[in-house]
Amino acid sequence: MVRRTPLRTFMVYALVLFWSFIVLFPFFWLITTSFKTPLAVTRGPLYLPWVDFDPTMVHWEYLVDEQGSTILRHFRNSVIAAGGSTVLAVIFGAMAGYGLSRFKYHWKRVGWRNDGIAFWIISNRFLPPAVFVVPFLMIYTTFGMIDTHIGLILAYTMFNLPFAVWIMRDFFNGLPQDLEDSARVDGASRLQAFLRIVLPLSTPGLVAISIFSFIFSWNEFLYALMLTNFDAITLPVLIAGQNTNRGVEWWFISGLTLIAVLPVVVIGLMLERFITSGLMAGAVKG
Amino acid sequence: MKQAFLLPAVFILLAFVIFPLLWSLGISFTDVQRGGSPGGGGFLGLGFNFTGRNYARLLTDQRLHIAMRNTVFFVFFGVALQYVLGLVLALLLDQPFKGRNLARVVFLLPMMTTPVAVGYLGRMFFDPARSPIADLFRRVPSWFGADPIFVPWLTEPAYARWTIVLIESWQWAPFMTLLLLAGLQAIPRELYEAARVDGAGSLQIFRSIIFPLLLPISVTTILIRGLEIFKIIDIIVVSTGGGPGSSTESLTMYVFRTALTFGNYGYAASIAFVLLVLVVLFTTGFLFLARLITPKVS
Repeated sequence: MVRRTPLRTFMVYALVLFWSFIVLFPFFWLITTSFKTPLAVTRGPLYLPWVDFDPTMVHWEYLVDEQGSTILRHFRNSVIAAGGSTVLAVIFGAMAGYGLSRFKYHWKRVGWRNDGIAFWIISNRFLPPAVFVVPFLMIYTTFGMIDTHIGLILAYTMFNLPFAVWIMRDFFNGLPQDLEDSARVDGASRLQAFLRIVLPLSTPGLVAISIFSFIFSWNEFLYALMLTNFDAITLPVLIAGQNTNRGVEWWFISGLTLIAVLPVVVIGLMLERFITSGLMAGAVKG
Repeated sequence: MKQAFLLPAVFILLAFVIFPLLWSLGISFTDVQRGGSPGGGGFLGLGFNFTGRNYARLLTDQRLHIAMRNTVFFVFFGVALQYVLGLVLALLLDQPFKGRNLARVVFLLPMMTTPVAVGYLGRMFFDPARSPIADLFRRVPSWFGADPIFVPWLTEPAYARWTIVLIESWQWAPFMTLLLLAGLQAIPRELYEAARVDGAGSLQIFRSIIFPLLLPISVTTILIRGLEIFKIIDIIVVSTGGGPGSSTESLTMYVFRTALTFGNYGYAASIAFVLLVLVVLFTTGFLFLARLITPKVS
């Protein structure tokens, strides 16, 4: 919009500040609560540290000294589950995306060509996970995959893969075929052309699907709750478990939540532009 | 050779989506419990008796009907609120102002936050006594000499459903903002200029240029968000636990409880297919409506 009046400018800033407050205040609250004494929490909302209440380090000391090794173990589980499934989704997603973008397929038995296959792949992403609760429980129990890292990694890969294929196909469609052709004229094989020419050029797309896969798997709750019970428990399940174990100890939960939220928020904020471009590729052209 | 590129992805989807889906459909016609079946057991619980009992029970299960109603409620009002909020925020971020890039990043923050954490935040903020929101509802009326207002955000069914929608929207309105903003920025500025020259006001420009041009992306975002809200569980588990009673329980949560808490695999599978049918109905119905409104949507 072009017309700028003082009133309009004022309104814009007022609204931006208002919504920033709505977004940021909960995080401020989370941080301050982790420094409050139990009494300061139960006495009702106290806002400003050093003014309304005296901050204390005891909960953080407890988190690090007493709970440190437990939290670290679950943190590691989250990293393994999210990292592992991200790697698989990126590799297989890039491969399938490249195939769908560069070759012509025709699956005679179902009568699908490239678009049909791509649509089938993305449609898997929108099936409600509840449908898989029972079969996953039974299959995982039968094969001894409950409470293992590989079990979670595979389950998350299945969720991340459709979106990865979809975005990468779109990305490869945007890369000119000539580059590979000239590489192949120079004697490179199809695979070499893919690895040496195409993949390096598709870094933005690869970064985008990595972020999506990682954030999704890191935050995932239903499958982590269902498929783990001790060894492989991830951070969201650990946090949700604080609900029943010990009543609600907000000061403790706040610290724990911050630990769980921080990595993805930092990754997300640093790589924000990839998220936007990736989502656009996935949503608009789909 | 070319099939090799697709092979791993297709194999994973067949093994982890198609096979479980068909398996689950079969299970929904049995009385399999956790640890096997009354009629059999062994590998994957094979050797069970087939029965239509689960589907008969769906018709009379009050708790299921509540969960269905809740899920549709969350989807409908969640999508509506998130679309309106997302559109307002996208229009805001489309204005030129200092610090716009920073604001865009800040607005995205909730989307990246772990939903379980968002559920806890919701519980802290909608606590009837000790939360900043309760404080707000106590203080503001007193400035006008009125009595403090007490709102049972999470403890009264009629309020709790709305509170869930509010919490879910705080987290996901940014998703709408992100995509709608990209849609806004793809609109050529000359269109605005031309309309201004013709004497159109801001509201008119919105109605006759911005909104129609945003329709295709609006359809996509609403569809994606709708499908995602059908899966809602984590925020509810942590903020209300489905309560009071089962008044905020979603279908996914009911499936999960039936399978894990009650161990009734057969019935849980049949509930899951109710959810799947709802999702398919929503998708086809919505796309049909969208086609009526926008001829261009593919």
